Amino acid sequence: MAKKTYDLLFKLLLIGDSGVGKTCILFRFSDNHFTTTFISTIGIDFKIKTVELRGKKIKLQIWDTAGQERFHTITTSYYRGAMGIMLVYDITNEKTFDDIVKWLRNIDEHANEDVEKMILGNKCDMEEKRVVSKERGEALAKSNINIERAFSELAEAILDKTAGREADADAARIAVERRPSRAPPARACCS
Amino acid sequence: MSESENVEKSVEFPETDYVEDGQNKLIIKCKYCTSKILDKKSAKYITQEKDLPLMQQDKNKEGEVQSEKINQFYHVENMYTFENIGFTHTVANHKYLSCADCDAGPVGYYDMDTKHSYVALSRVEHI
Ligand SMILES: Nc1nc2c(ncn2[C@@H]2O[C@H](COP(=O)(O)OP(=O)(O)OP(=O)(O)O)[C@@H](O)[C@H]2O)c(=O)[nH]1
Ligand SMILES: [Mg+2]
Ligand SMILES: [Zn+2]
Repeated sequence: MAKKTYDLLFKLLLIGDSGVGKTCILFRFSDNHFTTTFISTIGIDFKIKTVELRGKKIKLQIWDTAGQERFHTITTSYYRGAMGIMLVYDITNEKTFDDIVKWLRNIDEHANEDVEKMILGNKCDMEEKRVVSKERGEALAKSNINIERAFSELAEAILDKTAGREADADAARIAVERRPSRAPPARACCS
Repeated sequence: MSESENVEKSVEFPETDYVEDGQNKLIIKCKYCTSKILDKKSAKYITQEKDLPLMQQDKNKEGEVQSEKINQFYHVENMYTFENIGFTHTVANHKYLSCADCDAGPVGYYDMDTKHSYVALSRVEHI
């Protein structure tokens, strides 16, 4: 009965400026089912998701964080235990992209040194309001990707490390741009 | 309050159909999107009377949470036993559980003191 039902557990954090859409990434509630919901008023703290990678059953524990906490106030405790960080910016907001550099520096200073990082351009459904050009985004971004894929790839990168395989020193980070999901994200979903 | 009393009150989900060796006999999924919540035989079946906020709250009754009494639960000691699940922020020493894929909930609650989770049989799909 005490058998372990999974092989690995990875703790992941969503980080980025306020308003880039971190909470919406974790909470995708659509108004379809209900007129109003108890859950949306309280908000989601974290989710547990199970993925299967290379024959291993991996539990992802994904935490939301609040963006208004500025980089300089964020210290080690914030990142404790995190093995992966999804760094989010908003393609319609220049500053959130510029701040990625600051977040990265903060992570370097305070997070576990081999934490895996992934950069995610969000709000790709608002192409007409894009200010961070695809070219600049793609200097960091690998491809269009949906959020499930993004988490999977982040987990895979961590798996590479934990498997003891030395990741090349240059492949410091992965970056992706979030593909708009099938249903247009409800604008009101987290407001 | 005796156990047997509770069992008698809550025959909505007969143990013969849902419980085996004291555990959930079937796979537990979300009612709305079929996201898998628990594997079969991964949680203990228990009866206890507990108030759980309704999944559908009446918009007209803003400010007050409407809940119902629930008697049948699956008891999950380790949160990583869940296949897919969401945890809300803490309210009065509880976190509420919701579907990790469509966010429907609460399907149960998490007790901050014991760190145990409880999933209501009536709030999930059995496959
Ligand atoms: N168009 C569009 N809007 C989005 C998307 N994601 C989030 N938003 C909107 O952006 C606003 C901010 O989203 P949040 O998820 O609350 O942002 P956050 O990163 O959690 O912000 P903090 O909690 O303050 O750090 C909300 O009004 C959302 O509806 C998206 O993919 N597309
Ligand atoms: Mg937020
Ligand atoms: Zn669901």
